[in-house]
Amino acid sequence: MSTDTDRAVAAGTLQVQNLGVRYGGVTAVEGSSFEVAPGECVGIIGANGAGKTSTLKALMGLAPRTADALRLGEVDLARVKARHVVRHGIGYVPEGRHVFGGLSVRTNLELGAHSRRWDDQAKATLEEVYTLFPVLRDMRERLAGALSGGQQQMLAIGRALMSRPRLLLLDEPSMGLSPKLVGEVLDVLQVLRGRGLAMLLVEQNAWLTFEATERCLVMQNGEVVMTGRSADLRHDPAVRRLYLGL
Amino acid sequence: MQVTLQTLVGGLTLGAIYALVALGFSLVYRTMGLVNFAHGQVAMIGAFTMSTFYMTAKLPFVLAIGIAVVVTAVLGLVIERVLRPLEGKDFDLMLIGTIGFGVMLEALAVVVWGATGRAVPSPLHTAPLSVAGLKIQTYSLLVLVVALVTTAMLVGFLHRTRVGAAMQAVAMDPEAATSVGIHVGRSNAIAFAIGAGLAALAGGLAGPMLYVNATLGSTIGIKGFAAAILGGFGNITGAIVGGLGIGVLDAFAAGRFGGYSDLVVFLLFAVLIMVRPTGIFGERTVNRA
Repeated sequence: MSTDTDRAVAAGTLQVQNLGVRYGGVTAVEGSSFEVAPGECVGIIGANGAGKTSTLKALMGLAPRTADALRLGEVDLARVKARHVVRHGIGYVPEGRHVFGGLSVRTNLELGAHSRRWDDQAKATLEEVYTLFPVLRDMRERLAGALSGGQQQMLAIGRALMSRPRLLLLDEPSMGLSPKLVGEVLDVLQVLRGRGLAMLLVEQNAWLTFEATERCLVMQNGEVVMTGRSADLRHDPAVRRLYLGL
Repeated sequence: MQVTLQTLVGGLTLGAIYALVALGFSLVYRTMGLVNFAHGQVAMIGAFTMSTFYMTAKLPFVLAIGIAVVVTAVLGLVIERVLRPLEGKDFDLMLIGTIGFGVMLEALAVVVWGATGRAVPSPLHTAPLSVAGLKIQTYSLLVLVVALVTTAMLVGFLHRTRVGAAMQAVAMDPEAATSVGIHVGRSNAIAFAIGAGLAALAGGLAGPMLYVNATLGSTIGIKGFAAAILGGFGNITGAIVGGLGIGVLDAFAAGRFGGYSDLVVFLLFAVLIMVRPTGIFGERTVNRA
């Protein structure tokens, strides 16, 4: 997925400086700054309501935001409309999967490529997704709403991959999944990481985050309070106490 | 028995008109979560436009309806564009806005076409067909066939084309649709335009069956709305079944209760909805308010 040259995608660093998200009078994110380099996998951990989901929504233009800088390489994301963000190489896997339940698995995937022409390359991407998730190929004529939670998660990831992103934003891919399925999600993330896809992973499941990422941001009350290498954070007593319940 | 069947045929024909109106209501509702209260008036504008091109300009009936469909589709686009800034901000205002458009269109019709209205002659002059002792107007058959073909085309569009699939995606999850690059506003506009075109088709076809005047919109609008709800609001199959159901109900009530028939139809409708609030094919409904 990282070798395509069909689109003029700026494969640059995601730069976020002083990001703020406010819903009416409620501040969800304030003064958060971080970077994601091409091919890098970064996790965001933190308790419920720490501003993780709002951060991803802000990047997608789906939440009202302010920022000193919001850039992907040369592209000023602050000026990009929500529906055009995908064209700049950002794929989004929303919290709670949000597949199009009344449409078939195949249509869901085809819609994932809505921002591109439906040509041979798009068909090749569809084959790649089917190879990555064989279950989706088997279920391609089923309605997405009839899939199990794990299958819907695979579909949500597959749909995001259909746009051939350079950066994948994943919001709680482990939510509601059994430990076995969380393991499968991790396997998929490892494969994507191996292909050089950059990822920003929001998770409550700290184990999955540490396994899948190189670096992590710890968010608390809308701010990034700590950043570090995942391998180090895993053993940090404060992090362990706060997020692993140890 | 003969009378019963004859009433049934009449009911189905009128029901096909209601079904087309209900289709438009449902299409806009499932895409935007919005009830377009100007829908009946758009149908009325369609009926008048058809009558002008058919009777005054002496164009063929089919062409006159085609023009009416295009004119009202543009009207639908205008309504959607005016209301668009309210989407996602104030849903109640948007609803009231559609009511406002309805009132405006009715007034506009009186100004342009006068308050008295007009009777539109049937485009088909062939004698009624006799089937097993039943007399079936050829025009009734035409209306039924057009309604069925239109529905099939709409379903095909929604399920077999990229634009249709994108519209359905918007209906199901506007935010996820946006994130894959779908233009939600454009999708809404297309839904509005198709909805308005369907209304004009219904109004135009109703022309030769009902008297065309400025209040035609309220008459077929409210029945079409009831039909959409009876079938399960937002459901395409439901709109057809609901439309035919209301039409048949209407025909039988008219035969038995005369001037009170509307009262009976809506009483029965109220009872049916109390028993099954989601309608016959009730499904998950959109709530974007």
